[in-house]
Amino acid sequence: MEALFSLDLSYYLLVSLGVLIGIIFGAIPGMTATMAVAVCLPMTYALDLNHGLALLLGLYVGGISGGLVPAILINIPGTPSSITTTFDGYPMTLKGEPEKALKIGIVSSLVGGLFSAAVLYYFAPTLADWAIKFSYVEKFLIILFALTVIASLCTRLLVGIFSGVLGVWVSLFGVYDMAKGGNGELRIVPEVLSVFLENGFSLLPVLIGLFGLTVIFGEAEKGVHDEATTSVKLSKDKRFSWSVFKGQTINLLRSSTIGTFIGLLPGVGGSAASVLAYSQAKNFSDDPSKFGTGHPDGVIASESSNNGLTGGALIPLLSLGIPGDSTTAVLIGAFTLQGIQVGPLFIAEHTDVWNTMMLGLVVANLIMFAIMYYAIRHISKVIMIPKYLLYPGIMMMCVVGAYAINSGIMFDVWTLFLFGLIGWIGVKLGLEIAPFIIGFILGPSAEVYFVKSLESFGTLAIFFTKSPIALFLWGLIALSVGYSVYSTMKAKRASAKDTV
Amino acid sequence: MNRLVLKFVASTLAASSLLATPAAAEQKALADNLRIVIGSTSTGGDTYQVSAIVAEALSKKLGINAKVDPVGPTAALQAISKSADGSTVMLFHDQSYVGNLYGVRGFPDIFKEYKIGPTVAINPGDAFLVPAKSPYKNMEDVIQAAGHDKRIRVAIQPGGVSALGYTALKNAVEVRFPGKEGNVVPVNTGSQADKNQLLFDGNADLINGSVQANEQYTRLPADDQKAMRFVWITARQQTLQQADPEGLGQTSREQLLNYATPAVSVTLDGKKNFAFDKEFFFIYNADIKPEAVAAIDKALADIYAEGAIQGTLKKSFFIPNFMPAKDAQTYLKDKADETRKLIDKIK
Repeated sequence: MEALFSLDLSYYLLVSLGVLIGIIFGAIPGMTATMAVAVCLPMTYALDLNHGLALLLGLYVGGISGGLVPAILINIPGTPSSITTTFDGYPMTLKGEPEKALKIGIVSSLVGGLFSAAVLYYFAPTLADWAIKFSYVEKFLIILFALTVIASLCTRLLVGIFSGVLGVWVSLFGVYDMAKGGNGELRIVPEVLSVFLENGFSLLPVLIGLFGLTVIFGEAEKGVHDEATTSVKLSKDKRFSWSVFKGQTINLLRSSTIGTFIGLLPGVGGSAASVLAYSQAKNFSDDPSKFGTGHPDGVIASESSNNGLTGGALIPLLSLGIPGDSTTAVLIGAFTLQGIQVGPLFIAEHTDVWNTMMLGLVVANLIMFAIMYYAIRHISKVIMIPKYLLYPGIMMMCVVGAYAINSGIMFDVWTLFLFGLIGWIGVKLGLEIAPFIIGFILGPSAEVYFVKSLESFGTLAIFFTKSPIALFLWGLIALSVGYSVYSTMKAKRASAKDTV
Repeated sequence: MNRLVLKFVASTLAASSLLATPAAAEQKALADNLRIVIGSTSTGGDTYQVSAIVAEALSKKLGINAKVDPVGPTAALQAISKSADGSTVMLFHDQSYVGNLYGVRGFPDIFKEYKIGPTVAINPGDAFLVPAKSPYKNMEDVIQAAGHDKRIRVAIQPGGVSALGYTALKNAVEVRFPGKEGNVVPVNTGSQADKNQLLFDGNADLINGSVQANEQYTRLPADDQKAMRFVWITARQQTLQQADPEGLGQTSREQLLNYATPAVSVTLDGKKNFAFDKEFFFIYNADIKPEAVAAIDKALADIYAEGAIQGTLKKSFFIPNFMPAKDAQTYLKDKADETRKLIDKIK
């Protein structure tokens, strides 16, 4: 409480401003929390460390949270970590429940954010010590565990696995980056295309293309008819009620824990957190068949986990000086610019900064909730805009976002259209988009950790013998795959019975 | 509070004005908006830190908006290739030519294809560390072990300045124990986090790090899995002696000098020790207009003459090192030629 009153009004104003800008960045397809923090980082040079961090923490929380808005309303994940929010959020919108879906997402984000802040405050040094027990081997197994979600997401198992593997393959285009310990050699891409694909396809244009443009191309194919001039009707009897969280305590806690846990492992990433949380929510559900059809449990799992990541990713940053995710990797610049070392003794030697950061994180989450919860009623009306007006606007935002990702590379815009076409045609051919994109996102990390494990230990057996943690992860992987296959077969049998 | 908010609003407006490109700027030697791309994508590393300090000083001195853009080496070189008007310049360190000497893809010969700008600073903190419980107490132990058929795994980033330390170590083993240099093997990694993790896991005997990133780890109790010890700081003694006497964190300059040559010997040829200063300098488009080069040279000369930047750099454990573009070109070319000899020798 002392810290609460020791700061001036400008501190709280900067947190609020950060949250607001962050939400806007997160809500625009192609713009991310990382980008928001990177753009505003130089401005903190004019501020002291506490005020600079206030702004950046606001941007971080706002940016992660804002991603749920386009994910739910227009099926385009605002940030990579909100992919799984589209799985049930967008179907809810189509059912006339956008406001309900958004509010469920916002409340879940708040719970995830506050949960991870509490974990950060009470357990940071202990968890950081534990996190370093996760070597390349264990991190590879976590990615593999996250990839098992493909088994539970796809409608046809073999096609789903093929789509996932295809996604991994496409993610490996370009140079095996030496900055990741690679050999700097170009793979898959012919030399003639290396000028465009030196670094492979950028994630966000691929993501927006597959999710956003695929839908728009599909609508364009239908042509302008009555439906294109109308919109989704908002259902008044399906408004948000707090009772939707009844029985969700375990889902919220499990998903927030997964988000925080993944956050504290440097390099694993926010997408893995939401993907894992979603798959586990589905696996533990009484009726997994509801997932993907507009089930609130899916939105709760996805959003509580990706906001759970925020506190989690700050754990290795503040306890080891190692950023937990891409956004905290930029955030560390605020300390660097002020000439402050962040390492294992940071918390002990800078207690005042630590307390102020914790306060900033909690305040940012509360402000995020206040801004989004009360603004959402108006934001959700975006889907009432007729499609012939809405879709060109979305298309324009997608193009601007794709162009801005790497500071103005036109090839990113072509990537956007290319993957929009691939998604549109692929769906017709039976390709499963969700497994493809999950493979694409997790592929590079899987490759680095797999190769580095082999380089370090020289044998495949190490994946089974490295540590008890590795064995435990294999157990989880087996359970996850087994349960998904069992659920699929059970659903097929039920469907066959119904047909008879 | 009002002052703070005003400062913030002013810097926000300055940053937002980057979006505009006034036509009038074309008439001047330097555009109103100067984009400084850097050869690193990290905002937490030394390149961003030095660049931010220099950009801030240039902004104030010239009344322009100089903004640092961390895009990485390949993208940075591509960006300046398109900017003969000097509106985009690059700031990076020795890796820009060391990468080429190691034959790394994406690193052209900057002395042929670009123009070298002024040097601005040195990071004297490039270091090698071992776990606190390592049997190797110093570099002599490491060299002796390699010479007596122990495999020494060194975590580095291939093609980077850290690879040069690895090459120098390998060369020293070859000089002192001919034929045994193969016992020094690289473990290729990227980030500092990865290098630290290799040490925690016992998958590397020696890692490249820095005083800035690893000093706190050297102060942990020896029984902590994360505890490390410095064994080698690659900077030249005379460079390190220019650092603040307080050093960094709780490690004084005198303590740090115990890890640099001549206290630590990694021989080049049996007589001279290897030492290498990691220097930061500008790189321009090959056809950049001379007025732009002269304008940056003059602005930096004034900034360094005024002296304030020295304090800011030293506070962050950098050594101010301004050298105008023309002198820097000759100096860095000579340095690159010397470095090439070492790399070619051990290939």
